[in-house]
Amino acid sequence: MSGELLAFFILALIAIGGGVLMLNMRKVIHMVVALVFTFLSIAGLYVLLSAEFVAVVQVLIYSGGVSIIMLFGIMLTRHNDRSEVSGGRLRRFLAGLGVLVFFAIIFYGIKDLALGGGEILLSGQSQGGDQALYENNTEKIGISLYTNYIIPFEITSVLLLVALVGAITLAKRDEAKELNDDE
Amino acid sequence: MVDYAWLVPLFPLLSFVILLFFGQRWRSGAAYTGVILTFLSFVVAVTVLIDQIGGSTAAVTFDWLRIGDTVLSMGFAVQPLNALMLALVAFVSFLVQLYSKGYMAEDPRIGIFFAYLGLFTFSMLALVISPNLLQFYIFWELVGVCSFLLIGFYYYKEEAKAAAKKAFIVTRIGDVALFIGMILLFWQAGSFAFADIFEAVEAGNIAPGMVTLTAILIFVGAVGKSGQFPLHTWLPDAMEGPTPVSALIHAATMVAAGVYLVALMYPLYLASSAAMLTVAIVGGFTAIFAASIGLVQRDVKRVLAYSTVSQLGYMMLALGVGGYVAGVFHLMTHAFFKALLFLAAGSVIHAVNTQDIEKMGGLWKKLRFTGPLFLAGALAISGFPLLSGFFSKDEIFVATLGAGRWILFAIALIAAFFTAFYMFRLFFLIFQGEARHEEKDVYESPGSMLVPMIVLGVCAVLGGYVNTAWFGTFLADWFGSSTNSLGIDESGGSPGVTIIATVVVLGGIYLAWLIYGKRAISREWLSGRVPWVHKVLYRKYYVDEGYHHTIVWFTSGFSRFLGFFDRFFVNGLVELSAVLVRAVGGMVRRLQSGQVQTYGTVVLIGFVVVILIMAVTGGYFQ
Amino acid sequence: MNDLPLSLFLVLALVLFCVGLYGALSKRNAVIVLISIELMLNAVNLNLVAFSKYGVIPSIKGQVFALFTITVAAAEAAVGLAILFALYRTRGTVNVDDMDDLKN
Repeated sequence: MSGELLAFFILALIAIGGGVLMLNMRKVIHMVVALVFTFLSIAGLYVLLSAEFVAVVQVLIYSGGVSIIMLFGIMLTRHNDRSEVSGGRLRRFLAGLGVLVFFAIIFYGIKDLALGGGEILLSGQSQGGDQALYENNTEKIGISLYTNYIIPFEITSVLLLVALVGAITLAKRDEAKELNDDE
Repeated sequence: MVDYAWLVPLFPLLSFVILLFFGQRWRSGAAYTGVILTFLSFVVAVTVLIDQIGGSTAAVTFDWLRIGDTVLSMGFAVQPLNALMLALVAFVSFLVQLYSKGYMAEDPRIGIFFAYLGLFTFSMLALVISPNLLQFYIFWELVGVCSFLLIGFYYYKEEAKAAAKKAFIVTRIGDVALFIGMILLFWQAGSFAFADIFEAVEAGNIAPGMVTLTAILIFVGAVGKSGQFPLHTWLPDAMEGPTPVSALIHAATMVAAGVYLVALMYPLYLASSAAMLTVAIVGGFTAIFAASIGLVQRDVKRVLAYSTVSQLGYMMLALGVGGYVAGVFHLMTHAFFKALLFLAAGSVIHAVNTQDIEKMGGLWKKLRFTGPLFLAGALAISGFPLLSGFFSKDEIFVATLGAGRWILFAIALIAAFFTAFYMFRLFFLIFQGEARHEEKDVYESPGSMLVPMIVLGVCAVLGGYVNTAWFGTFLADWFGSSTNSLGIDESGGSPGVTIIATVVVLGGIYLAWLIYGKRAISREWLSGRVPWVHKVLYRKYYVDEGYHHTIVWFTSGFSRFLGFFDRFFVNGLVELSAVLVRAVGGMVRRLQSGQVQTYGTVVLIGFVVVILIMAVTGGYFQ
Repeated sequence: MNDLPLSLFLVLALVLFCVGLYGALSKRNAVIVLISIELMLNAVNLNLVAFSKYGVIPSIKGQVFALFTITVAAAEAAVGLAILFALYRTRGTVNVDDMDDLKN
């Protein structure tokens, strides 16, 4: 067993364990903390996949930003709330059944999937391309973003702006209303 | 003038339309409108009649409907028979409307009444000038509707409502038969036009069996309309309508339509001796059957109604034994004296406010005009020598004997005896003896009621002279001149028959006088000896009860069964589907919980099912 | 360095996706529902990055796409939480079960 595979299994175990813990925790805050482990292990998997920049972004945005926002959200609403499973037993059963069947079918579809890239790598013919992925990774992403994907990039920035303005507007209007109610 | 015969029905229709719009507001105005327009119609009808006697005929048709090669036409035709009927109907209708002006003066719905009368007259006149069977049938049904409306005119009386329904339903039975006969004829002859049908019959294009069948079916229609046995029960009940309506129905419009139909389809009957025999037997039986019931009834209008049934039986008998002229002749004279009798009876009822003859009596001195006029009518209908009924009945006797139907002849004689007896029973009970009524002030009717009666009285006395064996057979000549093909036998008078008939009639009157006038014979003589005879007669041979316990019982039972079936089976199916839909709706409603996660679950399951199907069928992974 | 089969990553991503899906469909707290959706997005990102290395034509494009997804997911989380606050202020609850205005 190579060190790479070992690393993969450890990270995968942490990721799945975090997810399953999230499902089984009683307290909402514990759930979010469990998911932070998952997000971090996914960042480690990105490193395994020669994507250092994406891994760093993952740590920054998910483990940092999103988790913190979620924690704030929980605390601002009802921080001692316990999240029970919602809906009737029937619905939960149906959802679980649906997910399991979905998993089974997709698993059946992908269990032996190996696309050309892996074989090429194994034969060592496109070694250069593989090498290129983790050499100067950030530079390559930057060049790609500002050349081929400049328009999606700009649109994404507009989307972020809209999300920012929208989030502020939603929060602010309600604040004004609350103020009026208080007065 | 013959070409303008279509104007005759138009005036009463105009009256109907005008009164439909304005009749509610006008009172005497409504009466004047009806009377004047009907009078115009009568004038035109008389000119048409005169013209027709001069020899001109008319037949105008235009296409109404074209289906493939078949053309249904409308139009009008004038022959001797319907020219006579036109004048007769318009005449009687005019007099009845004039009479109604006085009789109905106090009724709040007089406008509606005259509107109905207008429609009734229109339907009958239009029926008479119809050149084809389809048009005839349309107006035939319209006559039925009008009779329904008029019999049920006092709709707030239960009896009137029941009588109207009965009249409508019973005549419908006949109408269905007529309709079937009509369609069969159309199928056989390829046309509704009378001329085409007769042509086909004479040319032998229709099988003899079919001729007999259609003739009898059409006769059943006439039986329903003319109140022949066994469909006669509606006619006496129809007395619930206002008296002028009874006069109109009995004299000119409704019941005459049946006799007119048989007379009109005469070539068809001549082609089938079986049909002729049926007509004769039904007619003869009805004549004596109804006359015997009339002997014991206590309601004056009911007696007159059974008398009408009986006289219509005479007409059918005459037609059935080949006495075409005799039948039509009797139809005409009967129109006069029966209208007179009804109007006179109406006048009496108007005066004493009762229809029970046991509660009348001694009215001769108080009703100076009505009494003699009633007497004239009674003498005429009885066949007293030299009055109109004498000549027309004589014709019928002669025709029956000429055809060799001895039994029918005897029946007709007995019926004549009965007729004379019950008419004079009526006369003596109403006008002679002591007063038994409760009304203190008995007044003669107003002029507008008397004038029509006087005119009809004159006609009833003199109407017979258009066709007598002694002074000239104008009517027969006229019919014979234009319609030779009918095979009318020019039977001259037979002195022997005349003498026998006269003796029978005088015997009937004398017996009535003995019992009810002089009281030499106790009134209970018969009912005391054989009470069941009286009872059977009084209950009209239990025909109504019989119908009630068989046909009505069966029909209502069957209807109840169908109602049960409908309520529990058909309705159950409907409710089952409703319950199913509601259950499904309830289930679906629970899905619409508004909860996002439920929707998400449903979407997931749907998606999973889709990919499952793909995986199983190998859509993607093969 | 390059002997890991593609299917390992794909199966891991599938497991994470299913966990997220089940959490999104069955948890009551709206915050947890949102974070479950983030988990699902992460699983997709993992697929994208895996394909960028072991795909038919290995290239940097998969990583760029993963970046875009992360951006959009962050924006979604922000707006989702803002809506959640607004709802909490008006209704006083973050339970998904109680948010059934669609029903009425």
